[in-house]
Amino acid sequence: MMPKRRLLAIATSLLLLAPAAYAQLRTMPETARVYILWPSDGQVIRGAFWVRMGLADAGIAPAGVEKANTGHHHLLIDVDLPPLDQPIPNDRNHLHFGLGQTEARIDLPPGRHTLQLLLGDETHTPHQPPLHSRRITVTVTP
Amino acid sequence: MPVLRRLLLLTPALTLAARHALAQGGTHDHAAATPAAASQGRAKAPRDAYVYIGWPQDGQVINGTRFKVWFGTRNFGVAPAGVATPNTGHHHLLVDTPMPPLDQPIPNDRNHLHFGLGQTETMLELPPGTHTLQLVMGDADHVPHDPPVTSRRITIQVRPGRAVPPPPPAPPQ
Repeated sequence: MMPKRRLLAIATSLLLLAPAAYAQLRTMPETARVYILWPSDGQVIRGAFWVRMGLADAGIAPAGVEKANTGHHHLLIDVDLPPLDQPIPNDRNHLHFGLGQTEARIDLPPGRHTLQLLLGDETHTPHQPPLHSRRITVTVTP
Repeated sequence: MPVLRRLLLLTPALTLAARHALAQGGTHDHAAATPAAASQGRAKAPRDAYVYIGWPQDGQVINGTRFKVWFGTRNFGVAPAGVATPNTGHHHLLVDTPMPPLDQPIPNDRNHLHFGLGQTETMLELPPGTHTLQLVMGDADHVPHDPPVTSRRITIQVRPGRAVPPPPPAPPQ
């Protein structure tokens, strides 16, 4: 009887915790959209280039600033989307723009590369549902 | 911890002392005191920070009275109104109007559009004809920075008709 009751208690607390964990992910307006304005998919680029980041129907806020319907850009280079329920990694494949930047100068070695934008909230965690751009491919020539 | 507490206790005293010193200084040249105080209140911006209108371009003819304007920001960040993070601001789009006074909050009307959520683009609806567009960044309190972060003022022609999607933008410099 006792173990059963304890199990029930654990199950109940898990049920109570699950929505709480879910609720921590920030939401965005349904019409919000993230996209790479430049370069375009398939573009051939010589040398270093500027990436222009587009965000429609939402706002930009620096990392650490908690405000509804805002986030900041992360540029994923040559990498798949990271787990969407935890902070976005911070390395040379996941560039953070925590000051609220909307463009960046990118210098990549010659060859084919993929670029994708992923918006993060004040803790660098993607929103629910996640706001990311299409993954595009560019070719850098020397 | 005691050191921190002592510092906290000292802070108001220091502020008062500083204010007193400022007031003393102001008595020498009362006229100069006001602009100096005003410029102290403006948020600083790096000299290389600038904004630009990435779309449309200067001289562009736009078919359709509803079109997208994309705000470019370089060497600077975007933050919602009310957020005082250094080296950030929020966009204001000036439509058919000259630059307002730079030492006070940007007006909020149909010629001075505020993007206080930290937006970086907007859909604009303008009647057919010639129009000018210009961007100016505002700080947490909608006051332009020091030095002001502004774009070039561009002129566009709006033609009646249905909006067509813009062609791909030219590569940024």
